[in-house]
Amino acid sequence: MNLLPGPAAPATLPSHLNPAHIDAGNRTLAEMQELATSLTFAAMLTDDGFEIVHLNGATTDGGRFASMSSSVQALSDAVAHELKIGTNEYVIIASELGHVIQLRVQGHPIVLAALFDTHETLGKGLSIARIAARRMAQLMA
Amino acid sequence: MAEHVVLFAGPMGSGKTTAIRSLSEIEVVSTEAANTDRATADKETTTVALDYGEITIDDVTKVRLYGVPGQKRFDFMWSILAGRARGLLLLINNDAPESIALLLQYLADFHELHARGAVVIGVTKSDVRESPTVADYSAALTAKFPEQLIPVFTVDPRNAEEMRTLLLTLVASVEMRELLAPAPEKI
Repeated sequence: MNLLPGPAAPATLPSHLNPAHIDAGNRTLAEMQELATSLTFAAMLTDDGFEIVHLNGATTDGGRFASMSSSVQALSDAVAHELKIGTNEYVIIASELGHVIQLRVQGHPIVLAALFDTHETLGKGLSIARIAARRMAQLMA
Repeated sequence: MAEHVVLFAGPMGSGKTTAIRSLSEIEVVSTEAANTDRATADKETTTVALDYGEITIDDVTKVRLYGVPGQKRFDFMWSILAGRARGLLLLINNDAPESIALLLQYLADFHELHARGAVVIGVTKSDVRESPTVADYSAALTAKFPEQLIPVFTVDPRNAEEMRTLLLTLVASVEMRELLAPAPEKI
């Protein structure tokens, strides 16, 4: 992976309007694609559901996906809170023809959501998503 | 015990989460995220999935209170939650641009629930901006839905008593509609 940092990010701009965060997101998702050809769609989004960047968006409505991922993330957080089982680490939606894995970029109000086809095991998909989330945090530091 | 499900809808910043917190007897389940859309509503957080609370009325009726996100981009949550509701409590912040048109737009967005359930309107932030008045909203609603009487109140979502008045009005309307509904045909 290319470890050169991207341009400095002005702290006041929301991430979906922040060129530095957009650049970091694009670099992270491109590197993620190199690790997993089964990655059919991926997006970085703000906690409140604005898409920062996406990858492979020819057949997926990125804005819609970002909004739904935001809701799913918040609902999962609420369930973990309600059941007093600690912090929600990641969300998996395993379906017949693919699976969605999403998790937060640590230290930032940003969620990484990735759709893999069924050629990827859940374990490997999760591992790749974790690497990408760490990479995004690193680029934004 | 009878149960009703009501939906709190309306624009971002109209006070839906606050209203449910004012009414609920249980700790409200909230799904708030840091708000990056300060141009639309200058507040710290915004609801991205739902709010959920409960209240018991007169010891015999439980009302489940669901709040939906205000922004249109979350309209999939509107459909999911509207499907289970029988009443719509629509909050409109009076300081919103074109607030009457906005009210009519939200009624159109929830037309399916409006058609089969009851609706009550709460106008919030009328202390921030005095017009339109309740009479203005009522006139617009009467023009749009001449066959219906849709109650309109000014309300402070932080005030539990005011919110309770709205909710009781809505529950009474829901129960009235259920009483007047034609009985299912016998087979």
